[in-house]
Amino acid sequence: MGHYRGRVTEIRFELNRHLEAFIACPSQAVPHAGQYLLASDPDDPSASLGSSLFLAGQTSQGFWAVPSMPVTWKPGANLNLAGPLGHGFNLPANVQRLGLVGLGDTLARLMPVIQQFAASQGSMTLFSDLPLPEAPAALEAYPLASLVDALDWPDFIAFDLSLERVSELRDTLKLPMNSGLPCPAQALIISSMPCAGMAQCGACALPARRGWKLVCEDGPVFDLQSIKW
Amino acid sequence: MMNAAGSLGFSPDLHSPVDWSRLGAFVTNPVSLQPRTAARGSRFSTFPGGFLLHSGYPNLGLTNTLRRYSKHWNASPLPVIVNLLASSVEEVMRMARQLEPVEGVTGLEISLPNNATPELVQAFTRAALGELPVIVRLPVERSTELASGAINAGASAISLAPPRGAFRDQKGAWVQGRMYGPSVYPFSLRVVQELSQIGVPTIGAGGVTNLEQVNAMLAVGATAVQLDSIFWREAGYNIFP
Repeated sequence: MGHYRGRVTEIRFELNRHLEAFIACPSQAVPHAGQYLLASDPDDPSASLGSSLFLAGQTSQGFWAVPSMPVTWKPGANLNLAGPLGHGFNLPANVQRLGLVGLGDTLARLMPVIQQFAASQGSMTLFSDLPLPEAPAALEAYPLASLVDALDWPDFIAFDLSLERVSELRDTLKLPMNSGLPCPAQALIISSMPCAGMAQCGACALPARRGWKLVCEDGPVFDLQSIKW
Repeated sequence: MMNAAGSLGFSPDLHSPVDWSRLGAFVTNPVSLQPRTAARGSRFSTFPGGFLLHSGYPNLGLTNTLRRYSKHWNASPLPVIVNLLASSVEEVMRMARQLEPVEGVTGLEISLPNNATPELVQAFTRAALGELPVIVRLPVERSTELASGAINAGASAISLAPPRGAFRDQKGAWVQGRMYGPSVYPFSLRVVQELSQIGVPTIGAGGVTNLEQVNAMLAVGATAVQLDSIFWREAGYNIFP
């Protein structure tokens, strides 16, 4: 983890009407897919906490950050950045058929995984009911309901889902109790992370196979088999 | 200055960016006799000027906490104060006796239930007293009512737990929890002033976000000041540059 200065250079609405911002910053500050960066505006003393920013896209000048930005941020605002924090996606090198499942409030956090995998010779399919941002031609997209019949296709699945939906995942996939997925999977769990791993405060606690795990510290990306769902 | 219970975990992380030389003591997250899991339902919600946190104070329980952290406490560059989350006088007594011989533990801070009576405050305080100094962490809303009882029972000082708040969120759901953030500070400062005026040794806490506010709390009579969510804003960097 490091401490950097950054600057908001552009703010726009993404497809789901969330604000996303381009943060100009050193390349070392840019989080990998699924990691997060803690950002705060030093000129806004009323802000109680920093904002957890996820990677949506990257250029040599910085990165596009999601999810919704504080409305007080304006282009030109200076930011203090701490991170990158947490564990990101780690796709095995031999993945040939990548399944992506969007169960959060945006697909933007999955886009870096899609971009990265597009450089390989593999196939990839996205299952989600969310609007699809501009994506590589190699990506096929289907409604979420198609996933149930396609679970045997991928040899790896990357999920993006909110903490509240973890307990519904088995129903969503129509899997019986005690049965797992036919392939390995990782899940980016989206949750408020007020302490950013400083305090084990418990706000982002997630039931695990044994005890609980913290999204801020042990995640935000988890091997699906390590958590209770 | 020191951290408030719940703000920096169970032992000082010497690899974190926190400038430990600015702190005079480390206070652990609350530790209960038995393990506790995180609260169910909504645990975090923001409002202008702060946020509500309802975590349930998850922890491993005292025995497992000692197994995992006592080595770190012994190696800590700061005196370690263990915060106890007890539900009965017997629990306070058992935990206090179990902690007294642990190397590196230099004090106890007892958290009290929000509905604590003056009698319970005195009983908890007496149960904790032994070889270690005892700080009693009182609900800030009721601290002026309860503080004298704690001090008369033998506590070295009192500290202030965050006030509790509630509101309906944007989805209409009722959320409640402990209040943190800059909006809490004026209330905390007033309470510290009142307690100091009646001669209660008080460790001020609540909404402190800059050095001027620390100094203001000391100026109205606080013996020390605890910091909480300010550590989280930049993951331990730039606390008071």
